Amino acid sequence: MILKDRLKNMAARSPWLYRINAGSCNGCDVELATTALIPRYDVERLGCRYCGSPKHADIVLITGPLTTMVRDKVIRVYDEIPHPKVTVAVGICPISGGVFRDSHSVRGTLDEVIPVDINVPGCPPRPQAILEGVAKAMEIWKTRI
Amino acid sequence: MLTIFKLMWRNLVQGPSTEPFPFGETTTPERLRGKVAVDAKACTGCEVCISVCAGGALRQEERADGSGKDFYVWHNTCAFCGLCQEYCPTGAIRLTTDWSTVHLNQDKYTYREQVFIAHASCEQCSARMPRMPHGTIETIYGRTNPHLDTLYRLCPQCRREKAAIQLGANFHE
Repeated sequence: MILKDRLKNMAARSPWLYRINAGSCNGCDVELATTALIPRYDVERLGCRYCGSPKHADIVLITGPLTTMVRDKVIRVYDEIPHPKVTVAVGICPISGGVFRDSHSVRGTLDEVIPVDINVPGCPPRPQAILEGVAKAMEIWKTRI
Repeated sequence: MLTIFKLMWRNLVQGPSTEPFPFGETTTPERLRGKVAVDAKACTGCEVCISVCAGGALRQEERADGSGKDFYVWHNTCAFCGLCQEYCPTGAIRLTTDWSTVHLNQDKYTYREQVFIAHASCEQCSARMPRMPHGTIETIYGRTNPHLDTLYRLCPQCRREKAAIQLGANFHE
């Protein structure tokens, strides 16, 4: 039991982030890049870094209103991410459809398709709000290991 | 060669430019457009904000007992565009500098602002009617007098009757 706890603590150290653009206008993606690349915000202080492959990811950040064209691709990529994973919806689009709600190419919200854990609404949210969301996602991620 | 020493010296003196957030404080610009807040005392329920809202984040619902309106702001579809603040005739709806919007997905539909806008009742016939704040009367007429204030405490029907009686009295003189 003690060994298990110790292993759990050792494992929960540096979750890697993976970013899925589900038809976003790129506004939220710019903010996500800002949190990672600009020293003022610097998401790597939390131990996070963006990775290029879904197979290495722990925390998924999804932007965009989930258009019908990208819907199946998002599900395919999401299924490639190993458990335990935490999903963060960044921006108002994946949460409610935002200003694209009821448009011809948006069928529903993100949480109808894949399980979402944390919402960070905003159009786009501030880098600080995204950092707060990532910090909260890390807490949830640690309970799932 | 010298520039690198200059840079190194500057970095040594200034310290890191990284904000301590989320472990410490962060700065918020004064004019940041954040979450929407509604001042229930100044709102008349005219629904201009609803017609200009780009994301469809606002909703007003009349209560069944006619006592007033429920005003809902659903933050999860608000684009922080500020159109509601721009067009609000009484300045009741405004964007705060509160940018902290993180919440769990199970609170998705409860993460909203809810205020109650009470209707006023007519002084003569006690019929329910939308309230007219003092500030709005000032905006319309430039300055107010007690006569105008009493006129706006009546419902449209009673107001019309009173105005007609006054007009008649002036006519006879």
